[in-house]
Order: sequence, then structure tokens, then C-alpha cells
Amino acid sequence: MEREEVFERLNNVFRDVFDDDSIVVNENTTSNDIEDWDSLEHINLIVAVEQEFGMKFNMGEVTTMKNVGDMVNIILNRGK
Amino acid sequence: MSLTSLTFLFFGLMVLLIYFVVPKKIQWVVLLVSSVIFLFYDNLNVGTVIQALVVLVPTYFLGMAIYKNKDDAKKSKRYLILGILIILGQLIYLKYTNLFLVTGNHILNLFKVDYQFGLVHRNSLVGISYYSLIMISYLTDIYRGLVEPQKNIFKCALFMSYFPILTSGPFIRYDAIENELYGKHKFDYKRMCRGLVRILWGVFKILVISQRLGMFVDTVYGNLAKFDGFYTIIAILFFTLQLYTNFSGSIDVIMGISEIIGIKLPENFTLPFFSRSITELWRNWHITLGCWLKDYIFYPLLKSDFMQNLGKKCKEKFGKKTGKKIPMYLSMFIMWVLIGAWHEGAYTFIIGSGILQFIYIFLEETLAPVAEKVNKKLGIDTEKFSYKLYQMLRTYLLFSIAMIFFRATSVTNAIHIMKNAFVWNPWVLFDRTSLYKAGLDMYDFRILIYSLIIMFVVQLLARRGDIREKLFKQNIVFRWVCLYSLIFIILIFGCYGPGYDPAAFIYRQF
Repeated sequence: MEREEVFERLNNVFRDVFDDDSIVVNENTTSNDIEDWDSLEHINLIVAVEQEFGMKFNMGEVTTMKNVGDMVNIILNRGK
Repeated sequence: MSLTSLTFLFFGLMVLLIYFVVPKKIQWVVLLVSSVIFLFYDNLNVGTVIQALVVLVPTYFLGMAIYKNKDDAKKSKRYLILGILIILGQLIYLKYTNLFLVTGNHILNLFKVDYQFGLVHRNSLVGISYYSLIMISYLTDIYRGLVEPQKNIFKCALFMSYFPILTSGPFIRYDAIENELYGKHKFDYKRMCRGLVRILWGVFKILVISQRLGMFVDTVYGNLAKFDGFYTIIAILFFTLQLYTNFSGSIDVIMGISEIIGIKLPENFTLPFFSRSITELWRNWHITLGCWLKDYIFYPLLKSDFMQNLGKKCKEKFGKKTGKKIPMYLSMFIMWVLIGAWHEGAYTFIIGSGILQFIYIFLEETLAPVAEKVNKKLGIDTEKFSYKLYQMLRTYLLFSIAMIFFRATSVTNAIHIMKNAFVWNPWVLFDRTSLYKAGLDMYDFRILIYSLIIMFVVQLLARRGDIREKLFKQNIVFRWVCLYSLIFIILIFGCYGPGYDPAAFIYRQF
């Protein structure tokens, strides 16, 4: 899976979770960039991403990822 | 060992002295020995030694086992669950047996069965509520791949029992403290000064403010038949402050000692009484407990298959927005019940620092859109000082009402106190004598008011940056005047228990 493809699929997940079709995520997107992205939505987002990519984050990763770039790294590593 | 006792003062001084004299390689051993002394100081017997070992030994070995089997998710999870069960099992056995017995008795009463379980007294070690949770987080962090286990069991024992945090926290995380805890520390004069100022500040909060507030609260709550109406209202409001000054003062003493040693601990309080909502208040009150629960209970619960399935079903039934919130509130409710129970295994605590807090937060969240509409219609500017002040006072009042349960001896007692508050007797506030009959005389009230003003002003200043740093940058005269004033205020106006009243010698004779 290419990095671009992951971003594309993530974009759809983000739009769906946050109910906002204008969202475009990139490497450096953080919770500060998306209004509704608080600690509760973070969990919903994580679960939606897990479903989309058919993988699981562990809780350590859930609490330590710093931006969408980190999230993509984890997804790509899992796919190897 | 109370943090403001002379024994602790002596103990602390000895620890620091020995810590900086011994070779740096064995500094951590000094901390371990002191921690063991502190742990068993009031309570040394075979039972308590076993209690400590029941947490330490399985945690140590299971931590290693989880790490060794990190590639085998099933096996490592099994070890983790075993560890958590052992630690929690002991905690529940020691601290929550009576809660179950009391519940059993209520049920028996309900079915009119003529039998009651006798309550038990179990002797538990100081700090067990803290180190049990700390060790659970240690095991979980190894499982989550965040830390590597400690190979030396004695070092593991030090992490479990680091003495400053045993009485009032804060909760520590292995990855955050590991390097400093076992590291080598040079004596640093500036660090010592900073630590000492923090310790003095904590002692000021405890001895001058908290103990004094306690005298009023104890008198009123101890004699509800005599003191009602405004006495009760003041006692309710005072108790919250008493709790805060005592708790955060203890944390100041703890942080100060640890700072002198060279081990930075996480902050546990940041100005809770300037919060505009209960949600915000809990972000500033016992912060490390909140973080612990969020990371080790709330998130995993929310992410669990059960909650996710519930969320899916709710979304189908109630729509996306509402459906999403139901598992969230359910997880929140479970978390708050646990927060209440963690404080003490009694219904008063589960209600006061658990369920009521949940209800407040639930109402704040669900009523926020309504409040916004009302404010818009009435043209109220919510960013004006007056509105913020109203929100702060409302938060303080709501929190104080919940804290009635925290202080009360039983739920019936708490309801009695609430009823008492509704007696109409405003004259006790103004007739110049009545108010001074409830444990505090006029002088005490004055000391209390001035001390509270000093505390809040200093805290507001501290909001704008490191206040101790600013103090040390002042010229030497100002610096020493401040420090000596604080020391003399503590010595003269501190409450050291009945029969010892230094202030009486100094100014009451005039």
C-alpha cells in the first residue's frame, strides 16, 4: 500500500467521523487542526481507522501518536 | 507519618543528608531504604510485609514475562490480566470488603431477613491505593510496549514505594520517572532553595489555613443540633477549601522534597477554584488520578468491543450524533463510580466524588446548547468578567455540595447536613458574636481571611509564570523578608492541635 493511498482512505474516514466533507488531512495534521477532535472523538476515530484498514492499534500507540503522519506510519508498518 | 509532623521533618532531613553524602552510585539505595522505613513506620508486622510482597513479587516477574512474550499477544495478555487480578484482588480484599458487607446487609434488610454481617477491620499499608494503581500502570505499559521492565527487583521495589508519593500521590509513570529515580544527583543549592520554598508554602496551606478551616467544620458537623442554617452553609463551603488546602499543601511538601532530591514529579493541582465548570475543575484537581483513569480505564473501555457494538446499535436507533454519545456517557459513568470508590470503599464517596460529579458533567455537556441559546437571546456576553465569576462561584458551590458526602459519616448524615442548611438564621452572620462560637474566634477568622487572600493572590501570580523563579530574582532583602514572613506566619499562626497555641502568647494578651 502506498502512502498516498493511505492518506486518501484516511481522508474519507476523517470526513465520516467528524461529519465534515471539507477535511483534508496531511502528515502534520493534529487534533488542533480539526475542531471536534477531542480525546473522546480520538477513540471513535481510532476504531473507525481500525475498521477501514482491518488492523488494531495498541493502547500505547493510541495515546502516543502525535499527528496523522504517525498514524500512517503505524498503519504502513502493520501492513508489512 | 504525617507530612507536617516533627517526625517527618526529622526523617526528611536525614534522608536528604544521607542521600547527598553517600556515593552517587548507591543514592537510589538510600531512597529505597527510606521508602521501606516510611512504608512500615506505623504498621510493621508479618501481614503488612506480605501485603507489600504480594504486589511487588508478581509485578516484577510478570512484567518480565509480558516483555519476553511481547510477540505472543495472547500469552502476554494472559500475564497482564493475572498481574492486574492479583494487585486488584488484594486491594479489594483489604479496602472494599466492608462495602460488600454493607451492601449485603441492605439487601438482607430489604427482604426482611433477620441477619446482619458483622463489619471487618483490615489493616492496610499506607499508600496501598496509590502503589496498587501505579504497579497496574507499570504492567500495562510494558504490555503496550511503552516501557521495558526493570531488571533489578530492588529498583522495582523503589518505583513501587518511592516514599514522597505514598500519602497523597501524585501518580507516577515508570517511563517518566525511571531515569531520575535511579539516576545520580548532585546537591544543588538553588534546587534546595526552590524545594524549601515549596515545602514551606505547603506547610502554610496545611497548618495555617486547612487546620483552621477544619476547626470550624469539625465543630459544626460534630454538633448538627446546635449549628444549623448559615453555620452549616459556611461549613459546607469551608470544607471544600479545607480539603483543597490540605491535599494540595501535602502535594507541595511532597513535590518540594522530591525537587531537592532531584526527581521531578508531575503536578497534581492547577488552580481548581478558578474553573468555570466541573469538567474544567477536574482537569485541575488531582490531575494525575484523572490521567491514570483516562489511560487505563476510560480509553480501553470506550475502545472495547462491547462499547463499540453498543455505539453501533445506538447510532442505528438514535441517529449518529446521539448514538455516539451513549457509550461515551456509559463509560464515563463507570469511570466516575470507580473514582468515587477509589477514594474510599463507602457509598458516601461513591456518591460525592463519583456519581454526583458524573451528573454535573453530564448536565453541563447536555445543557450546553440550551444555555448557549438562552445567553444569545438575552444578549449575555459570556466572556465578561461578571459571567466568568458567576460560573466560578456556581462551580465552587456545586462541588461543595458534592463534598458534603465526602465529609459525612453516612448518606443519612449527608442528607441531614443538607436539610440543616435550609434553616433561616442570617443574623448569625451579623450579630458579631454568634459566628465566633463555632470553633473559630474573631482572631482566627481574620487570620483565615488574610491567609486565603495571600494564597489566592500568590496563585494568581503563579499563573503568569514560575513565581519561585521570580522571587529568587528579587534583591536579597525582599527575598529574605518574604521567606522569613512565611516561616513566622507558619510558626505563629499554624494550628498544631489542641493545647498548643503559640499565637495566644504573642498577640492575644494585648
